[in-house]
Amino acid sequence: MAEATARLRLEGIQKSFPGIKALDDVSFSVMPGEVHGLLGENGAGKSTMLNILSAVFAANAGRILIDGTPVNLTDPKSARAAGIAMIHQELQLIPALTVAQNIFLGRPLSKAGGLLVDRRAQEARARAILADLDPAIEPSRPVSELKVAQQQIVEIARALLDDARIIAMDEPTSSLTPPEFDNLAALIEKLAGQGKSIIYVSHKMNEVFRVCDRATVLRDGRFVTTVTIAETSEAEIIARMVGRDVQTEGHVSHATDEVALSVSDLGDGRLISGAGFTLHKGEVLGVAGLVGSGRTEMLRLVAGIDRASTGTIVKDGRTCHFRSPRDAIHAGIGLVPEERKKDGIVRDRSVASNIALPCMETFSSFGLIRRKALRKEATALMEQMHLRPPDVDRAIGLFSGGNQQKAIIGRWLAADVDILLFDEPTRGIDIGAKSEIYELIETLAAAGKAIVVVSSEMTEILRVSDRVVVMREGRIAATLSGDEITEGRIAAHAIPQSKARAPQEPPQPQEAHHD
Amino acid sequence: MTDQTDIARARGLKSLLPAAFNLRDAGTLLGLILIFVVFGVLSPVFLTAPNLLNILQQSSINACIALGMTFVIISGGIDLSVGPTAALSAVAGASLMVAGVPLPLALLAALGAGMLCGFFNGALIAYAGLQPFIVTLGGLSLYRALSLIFTGGNPIFGIPPEFRSFINGDLAGIPVPVVIVAVVAAILWIVLNRSPLGEYILAVGGNPEAARIAGVPVARTKITVYMLSGGLAALASMILMGRLGAADPTMGNLWELDAIAAAAIGGASLMGGKGSVIGTLLGAVILGSLRNGLTLMNVQAFYQLLATGIIIIVAMLIDRATRGKG
Repeated sequence: MAEATARLRLEGIQKSFPGIKALDDVSFSVMPGEVHGLLGENGAGKSTMLNILSAVFAANAGRILIDGTPVNLTDPKSARAAGIAMIHQELQLIPALTVAQNIFLGRPLSKAGGLLVDRRAQEARARAILADLDPAIEPSRPVSELKVAQQQIVEIARALLDDARIIAMDEPTSSLTPPEFDNLAALIEKLAGQGKSIIYVSHKMNEVFRVCDRATVLRDGRFVTTVTIAETSEAEIIARMVGRDVQTEGHVSHATDEVALSVSDLGDGRLISGAGFTLHKGEVLGVAGLVGSGRTEMLRLVAGIDRASTGTIVKDGRTCHFRSPRDAIHAGIGLVPEERKKDGIVRDRSVASNIALPCMETFSSFGLIRRKALRKEATALMEQMHLRPPDVDRAIGLFSGGNQQKAIIGRWLAADVDILLFDEPTRGIDIGAKSEIYELIETLAAAGKAIVVVSSEMTEILRVSDRVVVMREGRIAATLSGDEITEGRIAAHAIPQSKARAPQEPPQPQEAHHD
Repeated sequence: MTDQTDIARARGLKSLLPAAFNLRDAGTLLGLILIFVVFGVLSPVFLTAPNLLNILQQSSINACIALGMTFVIISGGIDLSVGPTAALSAVAGASLMVAGVPLPLALLAALGAGMLCGFFNGALIAYAGLQPFIVTLGGLSLYRALSLIFTGGNPIFGIPPEFRSFINGDLAGIPVPVVIVAVVAAILWIVLNRSPLGEYILAVGGNPEAARIAGVPVARTKITVYMLSGGLAALASMILMGRLGAADPTMGNLWELDAIAAAAIGGASLMGGKGSVIGTLLGAVILGSLRNGLTLMNVQAFYQLLATGIIIIVAMLIDRATRGKG
């Protein structure tokens, strides 16, 4: 295929930030109608590449050619004019505005000589575009009422309105359920069929293999290879991303018979009801289920972040009533939250400060923090966990996701909790750091900690769990152990059996017998 | 695994980072020196020791208020009610003094009144979940009204002379108000940089939800900073009362604005999570020097206001430019 016909060609792209080269001589091209994966670990340069493509900042060297013609992208507006649209990981919609208002944001259709916005025309136009994507989305409804998957489609609609020929999607499925991903994959296929070029950035190999035609791998800001998906394997791509082989060794159980935590009939009066499980010392309990099945919500109840309306939590034989996370921490329960930026870290504070937050008093005497002792403890903990760079005085916000995660885990080790709750422990973390986190979880279990891991990634559940509870619609649908832990069985319990029965109000007692 | 780009990025920033906090304070200091140089050249009196002490004394009340404001701002809030809190505390303290209550008790009562105002603000913010701006805006009217109603709008005279002479005296040649504020600032510096409370305040302002999940007593921390702000407002009112010899229920009009300005010039971010005790002190002295210098040069009050506005905005522009987009 002649390169001249490429829809988009990036040539020798180079970008430096003070002290580092984020991108070094990267070239690749995307054909019309092609879905092109952009792969690499965090920090490999994917985001920098997307930012250059959408002209958030300019490259230091290199050329961007569209249909063989060099273009000069000076600001995001010019990128849009050149037919490049970006679907960000964190959707950039205004929740209070309607679908149509969002689609036409910044480029409204007007009437009365430009004085008034022509709502009706906007909604009609929006409806026409959406008819092709998802007719269920009503243009006059506020975006806040839509599901995340639908909001994403609104973003795509906006891109189509701009007549984008190149659509870049940054981790588009990070909050989608499997069926929603199926819809997105079909939509991407359709867009490609219409000749659009799609750049698809993702960590998830199964998705890349499902939607992409070719993929370019970046590592440390350098171009590694461009592969044709049909001619490669997941293992090969991962090896190229990481630059070495990633082991996926077998699982070793350290579970004991000693009960660490027993939860029964837990409910929040909204989604969660009648949830219960038992957790043993040294055990890793996986919690599987679809997005929205209440896994995070249940974890938050156990960690005292939200208040439970029913149920009992018994830890080490004592019944606990948590009125705040602080209560739960004092009882020895700590949560490693899913959304690290929002719920985990205090960005501008040092790693040491972030680690010490739950147990500041233990690091203090006479009302003053013993900085040296704190530093020593934090450094020792982070050395064990291979924090990189190994500097606990540095603001945590400057570390990569995986290293931030290590600090948050270190926080609970410093506080010496004996139950650790992990919510999506490897979300947004590189493949290399992932196995480090898994090893850490295993080490903690071996040391007698009781651990709960909520995860949407089946491979993760299978990798770390001694037992698995599957959640469905706010309840525990099944508890699996040993050979029962298979992808198929988990999925069978996770997916609501009958759509007709599922949405009903709490099932009536007499009906329960018919099941 | 952190790849080389990350490590490289880390190294690039690492050399800058430990200095970053001091760097901001150094910038504020540079601004102060610049103002000193300009006025030193323009007015022969400006850089004399008596005038410099005068500047410190004139800045002390605002510095006192601004220190409390800094803590509130770091915690992610704002306290608009400091002026009326000061007035209410002064009225309470003065009434007790005039009624013959022993001086230390009356002073404690005044501080208590200020802290009570702060507690009221803090409790509404921490427990009722109301926005700090609105709560303290309400407090601004409420506390002013209470002091006006209680006094019928008239100042309370008859402050004991021993209290007046204490406030107007000096320690080793340094005016007492300056000494008081210096001691308070030293304590607050330790609280912010060396105590668990300081870490909590920075964490609550930096990311309230993460702080809560990490077990920080968020409500208690918030209430504490508002009580601190109220207490410092009361302390400032005592200083002013000692100097004027009266407690005026209209005392402290627009104090909140000067205090916010001093904190902001000193590097406090209204988004929360950032601020410096030293920076705020320097900020208060910058505002004080500016007023003093312009007065020495016989510049009209209207133009002084203009200069103050310009300084605040220029300071923020420089802050923005040097901090980058982060």
